[in-house]
Amino acid sequence: MGTGIAALLGLVGLSSAFALVALVLAAWMAWRIVEKAGLPGWTGLGAVLLTLTAVGTIVPLVLLWIFAFMRWPRDAAAVTRAAAAPAGSGPAAGTARAPAAPSALPPPPKALADARGWTLTGKLADGAAVSLSFDASSSAWMLTGAPAAQPTDLSVPDPSVGWPHARLMVAGARLGLADLGSAGGTLIDGARLLPEHGPRDITSVRTIRLGGVELTLSRL
Amino acid sequence: MPDTFYYVLSWFLGIGSFVLLMLLIGHIFIALFLIIPTWRICVRAGFAGAWSLLHLIPMIGSFIVMAILAFGDWPNGEATPDSG
Repeated sequence: MGTGIAALLGLVGLSSAFALVALVLAAWMAWRIVEKAGLPGWTGLGAVLLTLTAVGTIVPLVLLWIFAFMRWPRDAAAVTRAAAAPAGSGPAAGTARAPAAPSALPPPPKALADARGWTLTGKLADGAAVSLSFDASSSAWMLTGAPAAQPTDLSVPDPSVGWPHARLMVAGARLGLADLGSAGGTLIDGARLLPEHGPRDITSVRTIRLGGVELTLSRL
Repeated sequence: MPDTFYYVLSWFLGIGSFVLLMLLIGHIFIALFLIIPTWRICVRAGFAGAWSLLHLIPMIGSFIVMAILAFGDWPNGEATPDSG
């Protein structure tokens, strides 16, 4: 009888020890994950520690879904950085840590600056043609369905285009595009671009689609 | 005796199989609630979404996925602590 009770207590103790180790490990990893997304680490720690309370695992599960689908500060910082970056600066500058770039390669040969601009041409849903030109005179251009209010606004007057819809970023001879979360969506050569993807290089892209409007990209 | 024995045995086997099946379905059901958001987190981090299927491994699967996300370098970039 006594042996049985001792074995039972030992089993309970062992299980508790494992549970404690698992909890500490999960809290630590959750801290690191949310920090990498740009959120304070204590939010991940707190979400895991909530399993100790009466709310059980429901609230942490809800928080996991929110974390998966919310806008991460990491992505917002990347978009802001890309928009504010001066011409010619690389994507690795700024606060977010980009994948390590090879450092042993020699610098690229210097070439004359390419001053040509770009043009976006296409047809709206009502059949009207749209042609938008832009160049490196501004580092950021806004694609919007609204009438152009700023010199850097590129108006695509179609109901499926958001107000604003996407941001074009010019850095020297390179061109970037960031979706701003409009309901119509953005496609690059048929591939979906989401806001959390951040800015993408579209220098060699042929077509971009804003909502229901397909635009062909070409150099002037 | 044999008839009663086999009768009871069949009952136990039947109930046992049912309980195991229910546990399996319950596990997959709960895992789905973890797999869907984890898939998206993995993709946003730059990993293959299929890593989230590790949730299907009982007990340790979730820890493996968390360890990959917590200690692996995110291919899509990470926020540094000072970026808020």
